[in-house]
Amino acid sequence: MKTFHFKVNGEEVSVTCPPTKTLLDVLRDQLDLTGSKECCGKGECGSCTILLGGDSVCSCLVLAGQTENVSITTVEGIGLTTKMDVVQQAFSDEGATQCGYCTPGFIVTARSFLNSIDYIPTDDEVKTALGGNLCRCTGYTKIIKAVQTAAQIQQAEKAPS
Amino acid sequence: MSKEVKDVQKLENQQQLKWVGKSVKRIDGPAKVTGEQKYKTDFNYPNMVWGKVLRARYPFAKIKGIDTSKAEAHPDAVCVLTHKDIPGFNGFGIVTPDQPVLCEDVVRCTGDAVALVAAESLEAAEEAINLIEVDYEPLEPVTDAEAAMIQGAPQLHPDGNIHSHVTIVNGDIDKGFEEADFIFENTFYSPRQMHAFIETEGGWGKLEEDGSLTIQCPAQYGHRDKLQIARALALNPERIHVYSSPNGGGFGGKDEITVQIYLALLAQNTDGRPVKIHLSREESVIAGIKRHPFKVTVKTGAKKDGTLIANKVRAVADTGAYASLGGAVTALAIEHASGPYKIPNVDMEGFCVYTNNGIAGAFRGFGVNQVCVGIETHIDMLAEKTGLDPIEIRKKNAYLQGDRSSLGHVVSSSVGTIETLMEAEECDLWVNRELYKSQVSEPWKKRGVAAATSFHGVGMGIGTPDYGAATIELLKDGRFKVGVAIEEIGTGNGTVYAQVAAECLRCEVDNIAVIQGDTKETLDSGTISASRSTYTGGRAIATAAPNMITLLTEAAAEILNVSKSEIELADNKLIVAGDESQSVNYKQIYEKLYEQHRSMRVEGHFYLPREKKELKNSGGAPHHLYGYMTHVVMVEVDTLTGETDVLHVVAIPDVGKVLNPQGLEGQSEGGAVMGIGYTLYEDILIEEGYHKTKNFTDYIIPTIRETPIIETIPVESNEKSGPFGAKGIAEVVMIPIIPAIMAAIHDATGARINHLPATPERIYKAIQETKKQTLVSR
Repeated sequence: MKTFHFKVNGEEVSVTCPPTKTLLDVLRDQLDLTGSKECCGKGECGSCTILLGGDSVCSCLVLAGQTENVSITTVEGIGLTTKMDVVQQAFSDEGATQCGYCTPGFIVTARSFLNSIDYIPTDDEVKTALGGNLCRCTGYTKIIKAVQTAAQIQQAEKAPS
Repeated sequence: MSKEVKDVQKLENQQQLKWVGKSVKRIDGPAKVTGEQKYKTDFNYPNMVWGKVLRARYPFAKIKGIDTSKAEAHPDAVCVLTHKDIPGFNGFGIVTPDQPVLCEDVVRCTGDAVALVAAESLEAAEEAINLIEVDYEPLEPVTDAEAAMIQGAPQLHPDGNIHSHVTIVNGDIDKGFEEADFIFENTFYSPRQMHAFIETEGGWGKLEEDGSLTIQCPAQYGHRDKLQIARALALNPERIHVYSSPNGGGFGGKDEITVQIYLALLAQNTDGRPVKIHLSREESVIAGIKRHPFKVTVKTGAKKDGTLIANKVRAVADTGAYASLGGAVTALAIEHASGPYKIPNVDMEGFCVYTNNGIAGAFRGFGVNQVCVGIETHIDMLAEKTGLDPIEIRKKNAYLQGDRSSLGHVVSSSVGTIETLMEAEECDLWVNRELYKSQVSEPWKKRGVAAATSFHGVGMGIGTPDYGAATIELLKDGRFKVGVAIEEIGTGNGTVYAQVAAECLRCEVDNIAVIQGDTKETLDSGTISASRSTYTGGRAIATAAPNMITLLTEAAAEILNVSKSEIELADNKLIVAGDESQSVNYKQIYEKLYEQHRSMRVEGHFYLPREKKELKNSGGAPHHLYGYMTHVVMVEVDTLTGETDVLHVVAIPDVGKVLNPQGLEGQSEGGAVMGIGYTLYEDILIEEGYHKTKNFTDYIIPTIRETPIIETIPVESNEKSGPFGAKGIAEVVMIPIIPAIMAAIHDATGARINHLPATPERIYKAIQETKKQTLVSR
């Protein structure tokens, strides 16, 4: 057992656990941040995607021992129902979520992608950015649309009025 | 018929609707996009223990002894259970309970459960489970369904290896083939597709202080799970409460018992501490049910003018170690094996066979995916042979409402096949197919465009109980609570339920609270399967609504001091007819009823219409109602590698009536992509009884990169038994795309792939083979 100090969604936390515990398990079991999901446990599906610094990573591939002093954003940190982020609003409006179990991972990956661009991405650009997230329900069509809609809103919000 | 019932019926036939037919946003959308939605596998408790299942080491072996002493001695083990600890019947299975909860003397697949452990942590549970010593005597596994049928093959179950045999015979098959100008005969092999729901099986169980049992577990029929748990635990089912919604995907894979009985057994041995199980993906791959691999031999006879005249089918389904719904899957396959056509002479049979290849069960499409490729490929071959248009051939042979189908029964429910075909031949992709085909991305790639049609039964067919029930309760704040047991599994049925209720009760969708998958609060309403949940739950709500309106009207009449006949339902209130100034809202009505201790809850029940006569030996055919569908697809094949991309899909379902366009498109798009995965990539490989495919590393499902352009063009045939004219589409949306992709590959390359998935290797080889044959024939 060892104690690690890091930031989650802007708040300082300290967690005591074996250093080999995955960050995903720490988030889910010890911090009750269950938005991040485990689906494959191997970095194949993207359901556990979080932002580490600004990069989207699979939290099932990060160990607690690697978290000292880092800053983490989970889907809950991107927005809650009381104040949804534009990408969350767009996923909800466009019907880009069905069973919803993969959705938090998509939201985090999409947020990370949208942070890196200031234009409305093409279908192919969205496909490249979200290629690491698996969804079994939607057929992805509405996810592509949702990311483009979010980009559009983001651009409009940033534009000087 | 009461006035209220008539009013709701009139409403259903109205053109101008407020909620039905609109893209109402999913009611659970915000919770899902923020991660606030709690799934059953998300719950954690401070005093919780972890459960773990010991799976069999061999695909087929005798158990000579089980020694749990070392596991029990593990300092963090809470309990260790074997077959000896099962108080009731040691078996489960929806139709035939032939799967042991915990194996006693034999294991029949590597997914078999032998023992259970609960421990203080997941790590401790894993350590303890590995300390259990099982003495096995390995046996030669049965790995091929047809070999299993041969006399002398090792017997996996007391009644032999053939679990079921179904037949449908109509007309005179020999005469049909005699009269045929062309005969096509081919054998098709289908993959062991995995559901690949993103949330693996799991949940938790707890023994409550009053001795009742709570099970929280994603599942597709909580009320039935309750009975299966009760049977194994020898408990009164009324003492078991199952909470089974929402599911992180299911597609049929959570229709059978997954971990519910393990949770129940463990919960009874953990001194009231909640116990959690959540399968790893690797364990889910091994233990979870899969789609039945089929070998289907089809012989089709046709006339020169394109009339289909005979169809002979022999299908063998590998159900693996246990039946689950294998018998029903095989029966549904045979019912659908001649397509939505009127072929006068058919002779079809199906076998459901035990092997040691894991376990197969329910999966979206339920056998139709495997058999539709035969008749559709043969229609395509007939078109090639005769020069007739493939869509025209389908139109010529499709049965209409009131016609006799290939099964020989008169189809009295709505049939939209022809309309879907007409949309197909008018769609841009089909009309301009030669242009699109010429626009290849690389000179060595070839494009093909093709169409295919299929259908799928809605509901259970004959011989299986099939009913829906809904409750509507007036709440304190003037909202309504609508209860339908049918789980939310991703389809958005809850949103549709809210739409139907809001439309019937003339209130806002926001004023409907939907509760699903809760055996304590909702009436048994059947499964979330068989393309039935919108149709069944929607109709049950539309049946309950007039009862609520009666209740509201009586109260309003009393409050306003007028006779009931003077009261009229208006938007969000009741008024005195012709005088809007005299009104009461739902909150006022609640207060009145509450004061007088009167009931505020009504029920609606719906027994699905069914055919009067079951076809002999068919295992439940025919269905009363079917959904119909045509897909048009374009593929591009890399002739150097065999790699194939589906570029464009036009999906044309006959939906009866669109209740929520966005939800319908979501189903259509998801079904199309799952169909692409089935046709091109997916297969769980099992060799000598051992899974070679372990996780998403080697089980490849379509990613966003493989998503084509998908257009959905619904056809509305108005099914009068369905809510507002709707019928189910959840399964048919992944079916005709399978033969359509196969035909498009042929259109592109001249090669036919009869063994799915159509991997690059298979396509490449088939192209080479086609080239060789062309050279020889020259």
